[in-house]
Amino acid sequence: MRLTNTLTASALALCVTATGVQAETELELARFFGSCDDAGTDVSAAVGEACIIQTIINAYSAEDNGVTIETLPTDWGNYYDQLKAMYAGNSAPDVHVIHKSSIAEFASLGALMPLQEDDLRAAGINPDDWVDRARDAVTYDGQMYAIPMDIHANLWHINMDIMAEAGLVNDAGEPILPSSPEELMAHAKQVKDATGKDYLTADFAQFPIGVRMVLAMLWQQDSNVFSGDKATVNTPEAQRAVETIVGLFDAGYADPNLNYNDSQQAFLEGDAAIQINGTWMVDVYSSETRNDDSALASYYVADYPQLFDEAATWADSHTWALPVTLQNDPEKYEAALGFLAWLNDHNVDWARTGHLAVRQSVLDSAEYQNLAHRDEYSNTVNIARDNPPAARYSAIQDVLNRELQSIWLQGKGIEEALADAEREIHRLL
Amino acid sequence: MRLTSFLQSDNFSGWAFILPYLIAFVPLLLWPFIQGFWMSLHEWNLLAVTFNPAAKEFIGLGNYIRLMGGDDIGWSLQPMWPFRLVVSVLVVALYVRSLRRRAVGYSHHIMAGLTLFTTVILLGLTGDWYDTRFWIVVRNTLVFVAWVVPVTTIIALLLAIALNREGRWAATLRSVFFFSQILSVTVVTLIWQLVYGVRNGFIANVLAPFGIDSPNWLTDDQLAMGAIVAATVWWSVGFALILFLAGLQQIPGERLEAATLDGAEGWRKIVQIIVPSIIRTVQFVMIMQIVLHFQVFGQSQLMTQGGPGDATNVWVRYIYQTAFRDSEVGYASAMATVLFAFMMIFSVIQFWVTKRQES
Repeated sequence: MRLTNTLTASALALCVTATGVQAETELELARFFGSCDDAGTDVSAAVGEACIIQTIINAYSAEDNGVTIETLPTDWGNYYDQLKAMYAGNSAPDVHVIHKSSIAEFASLGALMPLQEDDLRAAGINPDDWVDRARDAVTYDGQMYAIPMDIHANLWHINMDIMAEAGLVNDAGEPILPSSPEELMAHAKQVKDATGKDYLTADFAQFPIGVRMVLAMLWQQDSNVFSGDKATVNTPEAQRAVETIVGLFDAGYADPNLNYNDSQQAFLEGDAAIQINGTWMVDVYSSETRNDDSALASYYVADYPQLFDEAATWADSHTWALPVTLQNDPEKYEAALGFLAWLNDHNVDWARTGHLAVRQSVLDSAEYQNLAHRDEYSNTVNIARDNPPAARYSAIQDVLNRELQSIWLQGKGIEEALADAEREIHRLL
Repeated sequence: MRLTSFLQSDNFSGWAFILPYLIAFVPLLLWPFIQGFWMSLHEWNLLAVTFNPAAKEFIGLGNYIRLMGGDDIGWSLQPMWPFRLVVSVLVVALYVRSLRRRAVGYSHHIMAGLTLFTTVILLGLTGDWYDTRFWIVVRNTLVFVAWVVPVTTIIALLLAIALNREGRWAATLRSVFFFSQILSVTVVTLIWQLVYGVRNGFIANVLAPFGIDSPNWLTDDQLAMGAIVAATVWWSVGFALILFLAGLQQIPGERLEAATLDGAEGWRKIVQIIVPSIIRTVQFVMIMQIVLHFQVFGQSQLMTQGGPGDATNVWVRYIYQTAFRDSEVGYASAMATVLFAFMMIFSVIQFWVTKRQES
């Protein structure tokens, strides 16, 4: 294998010398976020996660820096399965995106390259500029394994026309949001009675938005699904959280059957006052208000409301990591660090999606603060929460998603489902 | 001299004929299968073993025990009793009938014995199973196969009888029905997601003028499996159709004419003349489909993600999740080996049935 590689490399080198072109270092990059056709290199014109990230990548590739980046075709839903298969087949991408919540698994098995602070500084990345939460996101067991790109969290996306019709807008033009489960039901009824529309919509059927809502409501009661290696799912706090959501379904104020796309359509077509979804939708929804086909004319984003004792919302981070195999390839390592620095420099462009920036200097900049709707959810950075690192986090989330679905889609008893989830999660810890 | 006689022997030509197949079969199927079985005897984390080959641990049949074992195992008449009763009575009745007709062979004894063992003993087992999800996905897969195979076979057979004629229309329709077969599972599931979409889907649009809300095809626990079955039938009917058309053309025209003259029409002609004439094709189509649909994966993964809850989660998807999401390739290999044994049973039954007919 190595012999073939050497031969290929020498053959390529010969060709390059013969044509007089400077050798480009080629990096393979894996990411999710979806695909963007004809992305081009104009970062400032791009809208939405897929196009913003792809233009940032393309722009780096187009620079005269001796590095070309090939974005591998990967699919959102199966990204981590594909990534794992690539690692297992010794063909890991040279640089790839990874969630904060997945770093524990990959780093604990020795797949990720430990990043040295000196190397990052030499490449032009200043880790001191990252907010604490972002730095924690890329640190596992005291070692840095990635560079952070954002903090993303669940928000309440609001159609202000429906809220106004229901009398849920205050004199300052802000939406009136609930501060307790009882008030949540009262507001939902108010919307239903005044407009006949659903109070809120979210993907409760497939994508784990329902799980993230329940988690937020657990943290708001100072509870969690596990602590240390003990599962704590079947608790009075979890029952209260689930009952709050099920109450909305039972009263007909929300529909548990909609999947991600359907719930998005329901919101855009003006059939629900509020959509619960992540920061990544801010850019998309605010551009939809300029679209005549969309019923969303007046859009507002709010921090996830505090329904219990303390404020909290589900959050995670997108980060970029390198495979440990790059240790044997200094040239690629250097090229990859150069690209990470480029990403770090474009933090404000990425924040345009709606995500929270990770660099203090960006957070303080006027450019960031003037981004659309930014002031409406400025407290999210303070209430963002996540579970402690767990090597089997994705399996744990899947258990919760399945058992919660079985409550609101299959009529399983709340206590029985929570007990089943607790037993299964306990085994995974 | 010896070499020349070997080169001319039947033995040599036999090997020569299967060699091209063996070249592909041994490294691409047999070797990975043996490796998979070897993995199933280990505690084997996909990523950990990649970076440290010594990270695997031999545990013998541990994975199989974890998969199929349980505590407090007992037996009871109660689980699924209506189903078990009906199937058992049916099997006994068929068996007695063939005993009376003296048309009974080895395969009858064994098949009747196997089925009764399954319905009476296996399905009556109760216990605190170690992996309850495994039994859920096994049941879902069996339900899926039990729907898709007969429905596809019957629809394809009726279509084949209707389209087994000359003429431009029949030829066009044959191509239309076969068309779905050339699509990949990704495209098929995409098409059907557009059909089932609750808000802007095809069915929703058809129902809208009548003021009816579309059912939640893919997220309703009562409908999701049916929705996947319908998409799969649409997808696989073309393949069965072509095989049936080939079979139908083998039926001598005189036989059909004679049947018509004797007054056989409609259903009677289909059941008593056509189906018995192509019974071998029918069996082949069914066995092929059983083996194929036991491996269902894409429809569940792409249309419902196994949900709601675990309502449409299937065997191969569970293997896939265990191997790639959870990195437990040893345990996943054990599941795959059990699946292989299941499909092997059906292949052996087909082998027996075919052999019996030849003799």
